[in-house]
Amino acid sequence: MKALMSVAALAGAAGILLLAGMIVGIVPSNYVRLIEGYMPVQVIAELTLFVAGFTGLSYMMAAMGMAFPRFWQGILFWAFILLYLKFRIYPPIPFSVRAMYGTISLVAIFMWVSANEEDWKKFKQPIMNVLDAKTGGTKALRIGYLFIIPILIGGFSYNAMVPKSEEPIELRTVHPAPPASTKVHGKTYTLQTSQNPYRVNPEGKYDQEYSNANIVEQGMGRLMKPNANPWDKDAQGYLKYVREGGEIFYQNCHFCHGDNLNGRGLHAFAFNPIPANFTDPGTIAQLQETFIFWRVSKGGIGLPNEGFPWASVMPPWEQHLTVDEIWKVVLFEYWHTGYYPRTWD
Amino acid sequence: MKNSIRLKAGKFLTTAFGVILVSGITGGLTFAAETLPAGFKKGELAAEPSADMIEAGKRVYFTKCVWCHGVDGAGDGPGADRLWPRPRNFNQGTFKIRHTASGELPLFDAKKPTPGQNDLFETVTHGLPGSAMPSWEGILTEEQRLQVLSFVTTQLVKDRKFTDKQSESQSVLQLSDLKPIPATEESLKKGAELIVEKKCVECHGADGRGDGNAFNLKDDWGFSIQPANWHKCWNFRGSRQDPYNVKNIFRTFSTGVNGTPMPSFADNTTVEERWHIANFVNSLCEREADGTPLSIDQLTDKPKVNFVLSSGVVLENGEIPADPENELWQKRARRIIAMGGQITHKPRNFVNRIDDIWVKSLYNDKHIAFMFQWDDRTKSVAEGKLPWPPTSVNIDVKEQDPKTGEEGSIASRQNNYAVYNDAVAIETAVKWKDLPAPIKPRYLFGSNEQFPMDIMKWEADGSLRAFKGTGWDKDFEERDNYEESSKLLFSEWKNGRWTVIIQRPLGNKKDQDYDEDTFFEMGQYIPTVFFAWDGHNGDAGRKMAVSAFYYTFLEPPTPKEAYIYPIVIAVGVVFLEGWILMRRANKRKAKNV
Repeated sequence: MKALMSVAALAGAAGILLLAGMIVGIVPSNYVRLIEGYMPVQVIAELTLFVAGFTGLSYMMAAMGMAFPRFWQGILFWAFILLYLKFRIYPPIPFSVRAMYGTISLVAIFMWVSANEEDWKKFKQPIMNVLDAKTGGTKALRIGYLFIIPILIGGFSYNAMVPKSEEPIELRTVHPAPPASTKVHGKTYTLQTSQNPYRVNPEGKYDQEYSNANIVEQGMGRLMKPNANPWDKDAQGYLKYVREGGEIFYQNCHFCHGDNLNGRGLHAFAFNPIPANFTDPGTIAQLQETFIFWRVSKGGIGLPNEGFPWASVMPPWEQHLTVDEIWKVVLFEYWHTGYYPRTWD
Repeated sequence: MKNSIRLKAGKFLTTAFGVILVSGITGGLTFAAETLPAGFKKGELAAEPSADMIEAGKRVYFTKCVWCHGVDGAGDGPGADRLWPRPRNFNQGTFKIRHTASGELPLFDAKKPTPGQNDLFETVTHGLPGSAMPSWEGILTEEQRLQVLSFVTTQLVKDRKFTDKQSESQSVLQLSDLKPIPATEESLKKGAELIVEKKCVECHGADGRGDGNAFNLKDDWGFSIQPANWHKCWNFRGSRQDPYNVKNIFRTFSTGVNGTPMPSFADNTTVEERWHIANFVNSLCEREADGTPLSIDQLTDKPKVNFVLSSGVVLENGEIPADPENELWQKRARRIIAMGGQITHKPRNFVNRIDDIWVKSLYNDKHIAFMFQWDDRTKSVAEGKLPWPPTSVNIDVKEQDPKTGEEGSIASRQNNYAVYNDAVAIETAVKWKDLPAPIKPRYLFGSNEQFPMDIMKWEADGSLRAFKGTGWDKDFEERDNYEESSKLLFSEWKNGRWTVIIQRPLGNKKDQDYDEDTFFEMGQYIPTVFFAWDGHNGDAGRKMAVSAFYYTFLEPPTPKEAYIYPIVIAVGVVFLEGWILMRRANKRKAKNV
């Protein structure tokens, strides 16, 4: 039993140190990665481990004669949960959500400390001691609280009443539903059936497999396949068009979407929200090639009503580029990010 | 010029040493050490990178770099012609950010990515702020960055050789051993005198906004180039994520920027003098009112932006001061408005020379005023009458073609544009109260007649005009008598900075038109966009700088309730405490009895 508890205690201490590191900022929050898709389960598992660790710790301390009063256990555990939510979870969650979790855990802790009459008595003992103020220490504490509590509450309510200016929150649909068809340079394109005319093999036939085999490799850097250099003088078909698309991209698009297509171009810092990051799996990787064709051709100004508040300065590229150029740019974007366009089926 | 003389002298000396060494006399080296400028030490040339590294680097280069730097590394990739400054031509081996003496090759060792000892690696890692070269940290691994540099230094640098001991030498600035001198008042004073004595101000301008000699400077390839603006340290090349570090300036000042007119001052200044100058230049960079550095956004490497522009109230219905030195303006908090080039509709502005505007605002019971301050190296006022009316939107200003080759490039045309007026405009939503919750008019001159924009534009010819915008390609409509009720309070261009204060009515139904003027209301968020034009950049019409949507917010004065209620609440808490204590005491008494 004791061995088991000491192991748990060690784990608990290590966990606390790790969290302290995250709070101070020595250890980055994503040091222990939260696995995508399993985050809630992982968080609950981690918290369970922590609870086991704390049980071990308190057992060991009691065994060494340094028992920790129930009152402080409750308060410290609550503080721990708040800190865990703020500093461990990455990307950070908003305050309102944290406040909700904080309240729920507060209720849970109350249930824990008041599970039976004896525990409850132990828990409220320190509070009663201060109220009774039998010793000099508690007397000073009582007088201190008498002043501090009203001052704090008064301060909070003043803060809440002083006028403040915070940017209003605007919700927007990032990928609004596309129309069934779009008319560009006088020709109508049905989004469900149109194909990128430049996704072709060296023989000139539409060939998704061929192009997929020649896009850049996933992984750090996203480099081109060693034998698929679009700048090769002999490049034909798909790769040749990728180069032509890249030329257009670096004359028109990189100013906002960046040299690495990550939305961090020269002018990006002036915009809110910053331009779309194509290397993120949530943008072009989620969409069909014809959707991109429509967005590029019509720009922010062509967004449907559900795309409000039109917080997009994306140019309607049909004003500046030909249909062929737009298809080539779309081709290049998929090549450079190493994503396959989604298909309709 | 200076660099090339040094270079030639260097070549001559090394040849001379060669002869001496052959004849068996080796005393020459100590002589070389003596000629090094203060703060430099002799360094060793690094070994040539392995063939594997070079081959792997080629793959990186042709995925990421070729688009701007070109197939042969001549800085002529497809993206080059719309960039200013242009991408670097690697062929001559001329690199900007170095720890080596002026004219020398930068430090590069394919096996040692150590900060401070590998200039090229750091340039690729951090990019060159203020230019189109991005930071490749987090995009390419360290290994990949070293690989691509192995390729560039061996295959694309053609006129020089990184490993050739005959022609190359390395004198390395010992930056980590040199202790900065604290930026005391005395040091700053000395620095301020030195920048005049060393003629820094001739190019960088009297206030360091890069406005001296802005038209005659050319880089090694004959493209026009402009001196740095010391007030925007986040745009200093080689300063990324630590722009307020005085060492950046000390390094650039000691080693010069190869390929540009910025020389090295290592030969004619002492180390101490260089620290004074660096301290002074660093002190000019924009800071918060209390002197702390602006917080830099780690994502964009520019100052953090707050999208609410709050306007302060002038109490007791006082006048809004027309003098920017007035206490009310001085005390008012300023906001940075980030500006990008307008590249949505033709003519597009690829090279945007106004990248931020500082704005302050004040209001009283009748008016609201905006103070705009932005850096512009040149005061531009169009000569004669402009060929289009002020309301015209679709005007004939040429956009640069993306022709590859030097002739049509932005860099070669820079400073040769027809000069138009410098200008600034503020655009606010009309009838913003009637807009359904998430709707904002389109950012560029409004959506249509239903969602128009109220546009006020000041131009350097002294005019202040009010327009109604109903769409990006619709000509502006003039507004009735709005100009008469608005006022230009102040405008001045001084040492590379414009200060303009305009005042306009808050708006009321009696004197203004609800359908074309913005009515400002206290405590409300009013969608606002800013535009700016640099006349010497050929900016006119839609060729301009734009901001994103901001909000103008008229700060309500603190209500009296905010002072009364908290006190009432606090007193209530005291009573509550008393009650709890009484109850507890009674209970105990009851128990004891």
